[in-house]
Amino acid sequence: MAEAAIAVRGLRKSYGKHEAVRGIDFEVQRGEVFGFLGPNGAGKTTTIEILEGYRDRTGGDVSVLGVDPGRPTRAWRNRVGFVLQESEPDPTLTVRETLTLYASFYTSPRSVDEIIELVGLKDKADARMGTLSGGQKRRADVGIGIVGDPELIFLDEPTTGFDPSARRGAWNMIQGLKQLGKTIFLTTHYMDEAQHLADRVVILRQGQIVAQGEPDELGGGMGSASEVRFRVPEGVTIEQLQKIVREKLDASGGEVSFRTDNAQKALFELTGWAERQHVQLADLEVQRPTLEDIFLQLTQEQPES
Amino acid sequence: MSDIGAVVTQTRYGFKTLVRTPRVLVFSVLFPVVLLVFFNSIFTSGQNATVEFHGHKVDTATYFTAGIIAYAVMTSAFSTLAVAIVARRERGELKRLRGTPVSPWTFMVAQVLRTVATVAAMVVALLLIGSLAFGVHIPGETAAGFVIYLVLGTATMCTLGIGLTAITPTEEVASTVAPFAAVILSFVSGVFIPINTLPNWLQQVGQIFPLYHLADGLQNTLFHVTSGIGLQASNITNLLVWGAAGLIVAVRRFKWEPQGPGHS
Repeated sequence: MAEAAIAVRGLRKSYGKHEAVRGIDFEVQRGEVFGFLGPNGAGKTTTIEILEGYRDRTGGDVSVLGVDPGRPTRAWRNRVGFVLQESEPDPTLTVRETLTLYASFYTSPRSVDEIIELVGLKDKADARMGTLSGGQKRRADVGIGIVGDPELIFLDEPTTGFDPSARRGAWNMIQGLKQLGKTIFLTTHYMDEAQHLADRVVILRQGQIVAQGEPDELGGGMGSASEVRFRVPEGVTIEQLQKIVREKLDASGGEVSFRTDNAQKALFELTGWAERQHVQLADLEVQRPTLEDIFLQLTQEQPES
Repeated sequence: MSDIGAVVTQTRYGFKTLVRTPRVLVFSVLFPVVLLVFFNSIFTSGQNATVEFHGHKVDTATYFTAGIIAYAVMTSAFSTLAVAIVARRERGELKRLRGTPVSPWTFMVAQVLRTVATVAAMVVALLLIGSLAFGVHIPGETAAGFVIYLVLGTATMCTLGIGLTAITPTEEVASTVAPFAAVILSFVSGVFIPINTLPNWLQQVGQIFPLYHLADGLQNTLFHVTSGIGLQASNITNLLVWGAAGLIVAVRRFKWEPQGPGHS
C-alpha cells in the first residue's frame, strides 16, 4: 500500500494550560481530497499550521510527504503548496508579476500562463493585485499556492467570499487539480463544498476528532435516517398529524418535519391518509441528512465550554 | 533558485514596487532636497552664514546639508524600512514567503538593498543641489570618511528599523512611532538646529542617540576640521553599538507572522 501523504498520530498541542489539540489520529492518502472540518476554536487552524510547518507541536508524530514538518527542509517546501487564509500579496505588482516572482522560488514551477488560465484570471493577468476584487484575489492566492507545482496542497477556506458562480469555478479547479494527481487538504466552512469535493472528511471538535469517513456515510445511525418535511395543511392540527406519523413531529413556522429510518413506510402512511382526507401536503420533501446536518449535530451536542 | 538568485529577484521586484509607489520616493528623495533649500534660504541671510562647530566657524549651508543627509538616512533606513516590513508582515506576505523554498533572510536583504538604493539617490540629489546652489563640496581628503559614515549610518539605521518591527504590531503603530522618534531626535541631534544652541543637558541627551553621531561624523568630514580621513572614535563607536543592539533585537525577536488585532 502506498505511503500516506499525511500521517498524524496522537497529535497534541497546548498553549500553557489550554489544550487546543488533544491527541488526534488521521491519515490522508495520496491523490485524495481530504476535508478538515470543525467549528471555530476546535483546533483546526492549530492543526493545519502544525502540518504546514508554521507551528510546533507539543506531542505526537506527524509526517507530511514523509517529512516531519517541525523540521522542514527546502526540498520539502518545494513539494508542498499553501493557500493561506489571510495573505495579501504586494498590491502594486500585477498578477503575472506576482506569479512570476513566486514561481522563481521553486525548482520546477508550472508555466505562469498555465496557472493564470487554470485559476481563471486571463483577463486580469496584467492588472495590479490591488485592483482585484475579493474573489479574484483569492484565485490569485490559489495560483500562488500552486505555481510551484506541489504534490500536496493545503487549501485553507478557498472559497470564502465567493459568489456562487465563482465557487463553482473554484470547485472545478480543485477537481482539475485532483485529476492531475495532487493531494488536497481542504478546510472549509461550507458543508456543501466539503460534501461535493471531499473524498473523506474529518470533523474536529474541541481538539478531538468526532467523526471520520466519507461524507455520505458519516454519522453512524444518523446516516441512514431521512428527513421528511411539508407545509401544515389548512384546517389540520399537529395533533391530528402526530396520530398518523409514528415519529415525533417538529413544527415551526407553518412547516412540519420528522426523521425516520424507513421513509418509504412513513410516506406511504402519510400520503395515504392525505389522499383519503383530500388534504394537500404542500412542499413535500424527503432528504437524506446532509453533511451540514451531521456536522451541526456532532458539534453542538454540548454547550461550548 | 539559489538564495543569491532569490535576493536578486526580490530586489528587482522591490524596485518595481518602489517606482510604483511615488509617495515613498517623494518622501525619501524629494523632501530632503526641499528641506535643504528651505533651511538654507531661511538661515543664510546675512549674519547666519556661519555656524559654530566644535569651536570652528563653518559654513551654514554645508552644515545643513550634512545634517539633512543624516536625517534622511534615518527616515529611509529606519522609518520607511520599518513601515514597509510591518506592512508586508501584517498582510501575511512574510508568512507566505516562509512557506516557500527560499530562505526568509533573502527577503530582508532585498529590503535593505532597496533602502540603500533610495539613500544613494537621496545623497546624490542633496549633494548635487547643495553644490550647485550653495557651494557645498566634499574635501578630497575626507571623502572616504564621508562614505564610511554614510554606509555605517545606513547599516545602523537599518538594523534599528528591523528591530523596531519586533515591537510595533501594526502598520499604523509603526508609521506613527518611527517618524515621531525621528523628528524628536532630529531636534536634539544638531540636524536642523546647531546643537550648541541647546542647553547642555539636552545636548547630552541627544548625544546618547545615533542620529547625533551620524550627523556629527558627516559634518566633520565635510568641514575637514579633524585630521586623517575624518573619522572620530566616539562617533564610530556609538554607531557600532547602536547597530549591534538593533541587530540583536532583530535576530532574536523578529516576527514573521501578523501581529495585529485578531492574531494570536
